[in-house]
Amino acid sequence: MIKRDKPKIYSQFEISIITFYASMIFFLPIVLVFTYLFEIDKALNINTFMFWVLIANAITMVLGTLYLMIKKDYLKRSVKATYRLEFFYLLFLVVFGMLGFVVIYDYLGGDRAYIANIMIVIFSILAYLVIYFGRRYFKFDYMKKK
Amino acid sequence: MKNRKISDEKLNRVIKYLSIAFLGFGILFIAIQFSDFWTWILNAIKSAIVPVILAYFTSLIVFPIIKYLEKKGVGPRLFSLGLVFILSVALIFAGFYYLAPRIVQEITDFFNRDFQTIVIYIETDLRDDFILGKDLYDQIYAYISETDLISSTLDSAVPSIISALTSSFIPTLAAIALLPILLIYYLMDYEMISERIRSIIPKKQEKALAELGSRLNQTVGAYLRGQVFLMIVLGTVATIVYRLIGLKYYVVFGVLVGITNIIPYFGMIIAAVPPIIYTFIATTGPGPALVFLVNVVLQFFEGNIFQPLIIGHHLSMHPIVIIVSILFFGSLFGAVGVIFASPMAASIRVFYNFIREGRKAKLKESQAGANSP
Repeated sequence: MIKRDKPKIYSQFEISIITFYASMIFFLPIVLVFTYLFEIDKALNINTFMFWVLIANAITMVLGTLYLMIKKDYLKRSVKATYRLEFFYLLFLVVFGMLGFVVIYDYLGGDRAYIANIMIVIFSILAYLVIYFGRRYFKFDYMKKK
Repeated sequence: MKNRKISDEKLNRVIKYLSIAFLGFGILFIAIQFSDFWTWILNAIKSAIVPVILAYFTSLIVFPIIKYLEKKGVGPRLFSLGLVFILSVALIFAGFYYLAPRIVQEITDFFNRDFQTIVIYIETDLRDDFILGKDLYDQIYAYISETDLISSTLDSAVPSIISALTSSFIPTLAAIALLPILLIYYLMDYEMISERIRSIIPKKQEKALAELGSRLNQTVGAYLRGQVFLMIVLGTVATIVYRLIGLKYYVVFGVLVGITNIIPYFGMIIAAVPPIIYTFIATTGPGPALVFLVNVVLQFFEGNIFQPLIIGHHLSMHPIVIIVSILFFGSLFGAVGVIFASPMAASIRVFYNFIREGRKAKLKESQAGANSP
């Protein structure tokens, strides 16, 4: 029997799972990027702020997981050829999330001399992950020329 | 030898095109004789059309949001338009409220603290660091001091810059003041205005021209929306990264990245030059190599990931075409030409593709007509 190399098409459910948990992972870094940008960190105690953001993150994660479980059947039935918008969203999460991790490093008192090195390492890992997820799940291969 | 005769039809066509060309040149020649009159007329048209074009470009960014809101049940039009308008004004105001004091503060700090250091560096240390040798530096320095080159250039340039700014100040201010009013009326009656424009077109060409208009709208709209989004995102990212690496005046340099990003390819290079020069001279903060690296990474992100993803394939043109179009439209229309070079080039391509498709369809039709019994 000839085995056909048929690419698996993922439903909206799998894509929602990826984007939701990515949002949850990058929730704190992204919030911190904006506190850093608008210099809110100078006006409040950043450790307390991070604590409350993490609490809010945990609550959102539980509520979101419940919502996804409730909507599971509906989302499983919905399928698209490519998930362009969702991939676009993931990419922005990754970019600002990456910056957010470096902001956390800065807030925690890390040496600024190593920031470029840390950014390059995080950038390489996240770029690989984004390309992998984009190709496999989102059916969006932006590296391929049309 | 075969004697090829020109058919009457071909001869008629040649005579027709030649007559049109001669007539065109004749009209052009007469028009040149009254150039003052035409300049007067053109200035009047320009002052009327610039706000309208600005309103049209802004509507290409705003109208999809209004349409989306209406699709989601936020209506009638006046309500959705009002909502978008208030939010946009609030965002712009908040942006200015946050950015303006910081930018002013950083520029003041620069002139109070670092400007003097830069002047001292140019007068003393630059001689030792000068890449072409100390002798050449001395010659250049002596030439500049003897001829008063800088002061004479400034004396001639400053008044012309001031007069250019003041002459364009009132029309620009009028265009900015008129823009929201025009935009509200245009967006309120968007469909009606489109319908009226359609009704002017002769019935025979109506469908084809409507299709062309919609394609051009799509191309220019996609470019403008994407470009505005990219400017905001890249400006934000650059500001954060500059602050993270400890660069002074990170808000000014970050905003510069956002603003210059409107010019494809050249924008990021223009934005990278001031911080790199600054880090060369500054004694504290990151080195020029790090700032250069940051800009290279940003350029990589912008050119390879964000631009193809956001602006899409509407403007997928070869870089050489974009660079040539920037040079061409830049020399033709100045700064506006540089900014809008890419959508102009893309519009020309849309126009060319449209004509080619029309010809192909016509050819197919005529072939089908000839083959039918």
